[in-house]
Order: sequence, then structure tokens, then C-alpha cells
Amino acid sequence: MTAAGGAPARGAATLAIEAEGLGRDYGSTRALDALDLSVPAGSLIGLVGPNGAGKTTAMLLLATLLAPTRGTARVFSHDVARDRAGVRRRLGLVFQEPSVDGLLTVEENLRFAGSLAGLAGAAAHGAIQQTLTRTGLGSRARQPARQLSGGWRRLADIARATLHQPDLLILDEPTVGLDPEHRDRMWSLLDAERRDRGATILFSTHYLSEAEPADRVVMLARGAVVADESPATLRAALGEQVAEIDGPGADALVGELRRVGLVLLAHRAERGWRVGLSGSRERITELAATAPGIARLAIRPPTLEDVYFARTQAPVTP
Amino acid sequence: MSAAATVRGIVVRDLIRTTRQRSRLIAGLARPFIWVFLVGAGFNSIARLEGGLTYQAFAYPGGMVMAALFGGMLTAISTVYDREFGMLRLMLASPSGVPSVLAGRALSATIIGGAQGGIVLACASLAVHLTFQQYALSAAALVLIALTSGTLGLLVAARLTSVENFGGVINMVLFPLLFVSGALYPTAGMPAPLRALARVNPVTYMVDLVRHTFGQPAEFALSLDVAALAAAATVAFGVTVVLFDPEQRFVGKKPAAANR
Repeated sequence: MTAAGGAPARGAATLAIEAEGLGRDYGSTRALDALDLSVPAGSLIGLVGPNGAGKTTAMLLLATLLAPTRGTARVFSHDVARDRAGVRRRLGLVFQEPSVDGLLTVEENLRFAGSLAGLAGAAAHGAIQQTLTRTGLGSRARQPARQLSGGWRRLADIARATLHQPDLLILDEPTVGLDPEHRDRMWSLLDAERRDRGATILFSTHYLSEAEPADRVVMLARGAVVADESPATLRAALGEQVAEIDGPGADALVGELRRVGLVLLAHRAERGWRVGLSGSRERITELAATAPGIARLAIRPPTLEDVYFARTQAPVTP
Repeated sequence: MSAAATVRGIVVRDLIRTTRQRSRLIAGLARPFIWVFLVGAGFNSIARLEGGLTYQAFAYPGGMVMAALFGGMLTAISTVYDREFGMLRLMLASPSGVPSVLAGRALSATIIGGAQGGIVLACASLAVHLTFQQYALSAAALVLIALTSGTLGLLVAARLTSVENFGGVINMVLFPLLFVSGALYPTAGMPAPLRALARVNPVTYMVDLVRHTFGQPAEFALSLDVAALAAAATVAFGVTVVLFDPEQRFVGKKPAAANR
């Protein structure tokens, strides 16, 4: 889909998403407090956070399927509250569960999706054939969707969402329940959407390895943004390495590491401490060797999962 | 253009789904014939009706309305399934939004209800004698009857949150509407409270309209039947637009897999 409704055309300086203080309450429950987000067109943005952090609410607000309680947001300059149709014309949506009709064939599902996007006649036919080829669903086009495996049904869902070539794709946990093969195929399709058409992609996931290729990772916790950087920057903030420390003496060792100024961030998980450290590996090992009651000590480079625990969980001081 | 494409897409999808749910289709068509020819065969010997009609001839307009009413309302109420299984939010995310979605569903309910009623009408010679003109007028009446049924179904679906309530809707809404309408027995013989209910029941005017087109004795003027049904359809659609909550159940419950 091309720029429509008077919105600026896609370009280097174009912002796909601008959100300022965007929030939503359900009765007395504050699902999303205040989302501030600026996403350049063509970006790949990962949205991560614990269950109930506000990820789905944020995505539904941006998709105009929920009305904001406070704040504003624009998608390609279309206001999500005042110009819903303008936003929706630029949007492709994938929900947590596949939105395909089991009684319809794959091709009929695509035709239905095309009609919802305003495609008809030769334009719809051409888009469907091209999408079937692109997604590898051609041989399953006449198959009722309910006969597809979960993986193929999800790919049919991606085909549906990308049929009208939207400028912004919003995907809510698109890989849940997929085997590695279908997950890989799905990401390959989404990569092509970015590479070939410059589509912007905002996705949520609980698989943090999926957020590694993202341009930015936005972490939500308790309805608020707690981090918004590139994966490399987020990891770097944890230090040069992360120590996993477990055992009865773990609290004392973390306290000692903190006392000598090596600790950048620390989090106590179910399986012991995860501590982001700034010192050399030898120094840390030396301190640990003299500490009693350490059942397990592993030192490794930081991962996004470490960042996730450090940023989304409440801090604990030993 | 976008709104027209959305409406067309919803109608085509509903028609495909209806033809692939054969047991539901057959059950919907069997219901009026069972009443008219099985129950009606017994009632023929005990019923004494105005104008010397047999009970089967008397019940045939009601049977036709029954087919259109169930077909139209159940198609419209399938919006609840779409809400439960995640297809509704897909439709609501279309640029043309809620009015197009409701209009599309009302139109498909009209077509499906009208077609089911039309099949019963096509078999009318089994119980009554109709002229070509009476067939044509009855077909025209069916359009209004199915449209009203569809909009009433949408009204029911507007706030219905779960498919678990579906059986209850049939028992608590559809059957009472039919029983208190003059479809199966004359309203003149009803107790006063039921007769008063029949006066405000749109199905009463559906049945009465078909009695006009069948050339049978009717309770109200033809113009009143048409006006009452047009008003009911308009009010039901308008109230549905107001009551319909496009945000309902988007958050808090994951839809089940779409292997329906």
C-alpha cells in the first residue's frame, strides 16, 4: 500500500509510530501507564516484557482497536484516536492466535482479508496469487484452513496480514507455539517485507533471542517503558560479563562484589543471582574462590534475557 | 469503495460458511416442515380455523417465517462466534469499521434467511394453493422479514459475550418470539397478556404480512405490517450500532483456535 490520505510518503525521516504518554485503563486497572515511543519507518522493533506488562494493550492502541485513556499516538502521521481509517489503511495486524477462518480455504481467507482491506477484482486476484507464491502456501491454497498444522495456519495468518502490503506490521507474539522450522520461515517472510518494501515491524515476543536482530528493544514492565535501546546498548549497560551465582553464600558474594564496585546491575532470579559486572573475569573468579557457600558460579557474556530480568523485575539488595 | 468491499467480503464469507455447515442448514430447513407436516397433520383433525383453512395451510406462513427468522437471526448471532474466535477484531480493523461490519452481517443474514424462507415458499404447493402473483409478493415480503430477523439477531449479538449462551438464546429468544406471534396458532385465542405481548412482537407482523401475501385472513392492515417491520429493522440496527462495543473482549481472554 502506498502513502494515502494526505500522509507523508515513506522516507528516511518519516516516523512510522509516534506515541506520547499513551495509556489505557480498564476500570480501575492501569494496563498501560504512559508509552513514549518514536519509531522511524523501516525499523524492526521488539516489544518485550512480562505477562500483563501492557504489550498487547499498547499494540491494540496503536492498531486503533482500543481507545486511549490518555496520551496521543500517530501512525504515519494519522492520529490513532481521530483518524482510525487512515491508520488502518497503513496497517497489517497479526494477533496472538491466528485469525483465519477454519471453514474457508487458504485462498478464500486471503480473498476475505483482501476485501477487508478494500482490494477487489484483478487487484485482489493478483495480490492473492503473489502472496501465495511468496509465502509458500500455493500448494495449500485450496485446503480448508482447519486442516492446516499450527505452523502453516500461522503462515496463512502472516500471508493475510501482508496481502495488502501494509507499511506497518504489528505482530503480537507471532511465534507462540511454532516449531523452529516454521519460526524461521515466518521471520524470513518478515525480513523480506522489510528488505523488499521497507515495511516497519513492531512485534512482541517472550523469546528474547527473537529480539536480538531488532533495531531497538522496548521493554515494558508494570505498564511503563523501562528500556528502549538497541540490543547491543542494552547488553553493554549490564557490563562486560554476567555472573550467575547460586548457593547459601550467594548473597554475601554479591554484597562483596557490590562493595568493591564491580556490580552494575543485579537481579535475584529463582535460580540464584544474575549480576552484571564491570571488572575483569579473573578478579571476579578470585573473589568468588574465597567466598564460602557458592554452589554454582558461571561467568558469561550478557544476553537480552539478563537485561530483561534486570530491567523488568524489582531490584533486590543483598 | 472500501466499505462496499468490506460488506461484500463479509457476505461472501458468510455464504461460504453457511453452505459448508450442511447439518445446520438441513436442520434449519427441516424445522418448519416438521412443524407443518408432522405436528400439523395431527392438528388438522382438531383445529377449527377461520375461513375453513386446514391447520397445515394456516401454519404454512408461520413455517416460512420460522425458516427465515432462524436463518436470519442465527447468521447475525454468529457474530458472537466471530468475537469468541478472533475473526471479529479482524473485521473491525478494516478501514471502514463497525458500520460496514454490521451492515455486511445484516445483509448476509438477509440473504441467508431469505433463501431459507424461499425454499419453504417454493414448496408451498404441498399445503396451499398460491397464484404466481402471491408467490412474487411472498418473496418480496421475505426480504423484509429476513432483514428484520437479521437486525434483531445483531441486536441480540451486540452484548452477547460467549457462544455458551447460544443455546439459551434459541430457547429464550427465538422460540418465544415464534410462539407468541400467531405463527402456530391464532393470536385471537391467546390469553390477554400474551396477546399484548404479540402486539409488540415483530414476528407477529412477519406472519401477518405473509398471511396477506398468501391471501389468508390477517389481523392487521398490510401497510401496518410493512411499517412495523421496517421500523423494527431500523430501530434494531440503530440500537445495535449504539450498543456494539468494538473493544469487547479484545483483552483478557485469548480466542480459541480457529478450527471450527
